Amino acid sequence: MSDELLVVRCQLGEREAFAQLVQGWHPAVERYVGRMLGGSDDDVVQEIWLAVLRGLPRLRQPDRFTPWLFTIARRAVMNRLRDAYARPEPEPIDDLPGDDEAEGVVNRETLAGALAELPAREREVLLLFYLEDLPLDACAQICAVPVGTVKSRLNRARTLLRRELVRKGYEA
Amino acid sequence: MTPEEVLARLDAPLSLRRRVGYLAVGFTGLTGSGLIGLLWATEPELPTRTSVAFAALVAIGLCWAAFGGWAVTRRTPLFARDRVVAGWLGVGAWLAFSVGALVISVVRHEFDPVLLGMVLVLGVLAGAHLRAARRARAALLRRRTALAAPGEGG
Repeated sequence: MSDELLVVRCQLGEREAFAQLVQGWHPAVERYVGRMLGGSDDDVVQEIWLAVLRGLPRLRQPDRFTPWLFTIARRAVMNRLRDAYARPEPEPIDDLPGDDEAEGVVNRETLAGALAELPAREREVLLLFYLEDLPLDACAQICAVPVGTVKSRLNRARTLLRRELVRKGYEA
Repeated sequence: MTPEEVLARLDAPLSLRRRVGYLAVGFTGLTGSGLIGLLWATEPELPTRTSVAFAALVAIGLCWAAFGGWAVTRRTPLFARDRVVAGWLGVGAWLAFSVGALVISVVRHEFDPVLLGMVLVLGVLAGAHLRAARRARAALLRRRTALAAPGEGG
C-alpha cells in the first residue's frame, strides 16, 4: 500500500492506517534521530510521532509525506542540537579530485561510523541523501535551503567525511 | 522503542471517543452558557445575587467551551470523520439553542428580531461548517478510492 493512500486513510480518521504508517516509517525515524544525535532518544522519536499525528489533518500533499516527515524529524532534532545549528555555515570547500573514489567509499557501513564526527548540517544531508535515499529536491525541502546549497553541503560533507575516514585509517 | 510502544504512547490523541468527548463538552458548554445568558438578558429587574449566579453559570459554560476548543485544536487532531461529527454536534447545539430561544420567547410573549437574527446567523454558520466538513471528507474518500483502485497505486 502506498504512503499516499495510508496518509489519505489517516486523514479520514482510520486508526489502523496510522498504525501501519508508524510501523512502516518508525525504523527510518529512529535511525535518523539516532545518527543525528549520536544515540537513540525515545523522547525525540515520541515528539516526532506526536507532531506527525497532530499535523496529518493539515498535510495538503499526501504524496509528499516523506519530506514532510523528515522536516518534522529535523525540527525535533534541531531543538536538541540548537547550538550546533546556530554556528555559522563554514566556507565552501573546493571539490577535490578523486570525488568518485570518495563516493565509492561512502557505503552505508563506513558512513555510519564516521558520521558522528561531522558538523550537524553536513551530517544531515549525508543521512538524508545517502542513507535515506531521498532526492536532492526533497533534501532541500527538508533542510529549507535551495538545491544548490544541498549540493554544496554534500560536497563539503564528502570532503570532510573523506578526511575523517582517512584519519580513522581507511584509504579513500 | 518499538512501533507498538509508540502507538501505545499515542493512545490518548488517537482515541476517537476522547476527541468526540472534547467536542461534546465544548458544544454543551457553549449552548448552556448561551441559553443561560439569554435567560439573564431577558429577565427584568433581577436582584444582584441572581445576576451574579447567572454570570457564574455563564462563565462556567464558557470555560467548558474554551477547554473543548483548546483540546481539539492543541491537544488532539481532528480528522475528516471527526470534523463531520463536530459539524453535526454544532447543528445539534444550534437546534438546542433555537428551541430554548423559542420557548423563552413564547413564555415571555415577546418577539425579539435581534434574537431571531442571532439564531439565523448561528444556523447558517452551523450548516456551512457541516457542509464544508462533509465535502472535505467526500473528497478524501474519492481520493482513497482512486488510490486503492488497481493500477492507481497501493
